Amino acid sequence: MIPDGQTLSYDAAPAFSTPLRFFITAPLFGAAAGAALLAAPELLDSRWTPGALAVTHLVAVGFMLTVMLGALFQILPVVAGAVIPRSGPVATVVHLAMTIGALCLAWGLGSGSHAFLAPATVLLGGGLALFVVAAFLGLRRIPVAQATPRDLRIALLGFAVAVALGITLALALGGRLDLPLLTVLKLHIGWALLGGSGVLLAAASWVVVPMFQITPNYPAALARFWAMGTGAVLLVWSATVYGELGSAEFALSAVLAALCALFAVNTLKLQRQSRRSVPDMTTRAFEIGMGSFIAGLVCVLVAQQSEQQVWPLLAGILILHGGFVSVIVGMLYKIIPFLAWLHLTQDVGKAPNMKKLQPDSPIRRHLALHAAALAALLVAASVGNAWLIRLAGLLVVAEFAFLFANIIKVLGNYRRAHAG
Amino acid sequence: MSQITSLMTDDHRHCDESFARAETAVAKGKWDDASAALTQFASELEGHFDAEESLLFPKFEAATGMTEGPTKVMRGEHAEMRSALTRMRDALANKDKDDYAGEAETLLILMQQHNMKEENILYPMCDSHLSGTDVANGLSERLHARA
Repeated sequence: MIPDGQTLSYDAAPAFSTPLRFFITAPLFGAAAGAALLAAPELLDSRWTPGALAVTHLVAVGFMLTVMLGALFQILPVVAGAVIPRSGPVATVVHLAMTIGALCLAWGLGSGSHAFLAPATVLLGGGLALFVVAAFLGLRRIPVAQATPRDLRIALLGFAVAVALGITLALALGGRLDLPLLTVLKLHIGWALLGGSGVLLAAASWVVVPMFQITPNYPAALARFWAMGTGAVLLVWSATVYGELGSAEFALSAVLAALCALFAVNTLKLQRQSRRSVPDMTTRAFEIGMGSFIAGLVCVLVAQQSEQQVWPLLAGILILHGGFVSVIVGMLYKIIPFLAWLHLTQDVGKAPNMKKLQPDSPIRRHLALHAAALAALLVAASVGNAWLIRLAGLLVVAEFAFLFANIIKVLGNYRRAHAG
Repeated sequence: MSQITSLMTDDHRHCDESFARAETAVAKGKWDDASAALTQFASELEGHFDAEESLLFPKFEAATGMTEGPTKVMRGEHAEMRSALTRMRDALANKDKDDYAGEAETLLILMQQHNMKEENILYPMCDSHLSGTDVANGLSERLHARA
């Protein structure tokens, strides 16, 4: 059935506060991750320290997943015509559950107090389940012909699998389940970063890169088959992980890495062909992101063949901080000022243009700080010096504080325009 | 991709290229080139709006009986884009690079989120309701006559 045309209306779009609440709290989690590095540099000794697990989830759940969910409330109606039923109250509950859940999870993992893991699993599992059900209700009447709406569904399923595996891990850590931890952990990481986040990024990129950066389209076969193909390989890879089929698992990891590199290289290639010659901050952020993904994928493969603790750390830093944080930040700098502009235009009939609401120069400074923090993290993790790790932590705190301040400034400009 | 979706999506991309030419010329301070490029962009955009407002939307409304639905929303967004284009013209007349860059960025995002809705939702609806009619040919003729 064809969706009701009213879904195209701005009236069907969520209130400004619906996505905004996610975008405001997210940078605070990033800053908290930096503060943890500053306070306890020994957490970078290996990927297995409780502190490393806590920092990873502050970034992956508190920042990345939170922004992604906030953005989905906004873009599902625009790119897929899907209206999330009761999006205001649903967003309030999902946001509270994700925020408190992420805090409990990070604290539970970092401090070793497993008592915090139980509420974390209930809140994160419940919050994500509520979102996925609401999103699928919105999407149920939408045809799956186009790449983006179809791939959004795959990403939602990927996140659901990742969170289910995460809950399983938390139960195992709390002694409630007896499971091969390493196996479940590998599956959790694969589904969270690739099945959920990676597919969501690709689904967004199919439309965002060509339309906003004015580039040619992605090759039709890539946009049509990448997410489904990657999902299928991820399933087979999961079977080899579960069956502990070492060499088959490595071969499939290499195939997955090649698929991710294919996406990143195509994105960079398209951006080189952009018709816009004016420097665009989101494009810069994407370039840092795609370069980091490619370097991170190499580290993932080396880590599988090496006993050295540093490779998984470098892979994690490159993929999470260099890859996902960069592209998410790049998109936030477009989404927030545009929503401020849109709501001002609707509410008071006129609005300052986007670059008056969000000037380029603070974004440029923020991206420079972000790149410096990334470089410092990579050097600090490689060298393992406590003071370098503290410096990297300080830069991470500073970059997320800067992001937070930039968001608050847009809101200040929004309020002034609304009042005046 | 079906006929109307494919034709109109291609035309969106065509308009984007003229938009980028004007933006580049302004950034380089080539005001005469910018003025010519913006005039071309405005004429392509207006031609696209006109093909929709005077042919595609009325046919869709007649076929579905939905006059208060998606076409009404799209007409409203066309009006907002026309105002944004006027502000770009003003910035160009004042040779104000910063103001032009801000207004152009605003129009670009406004235009692309509008295009996403049309390409992903409205045009496929048009294709399914208007298959077997000559609407696609009519649109093609109008868009080509404009160029």
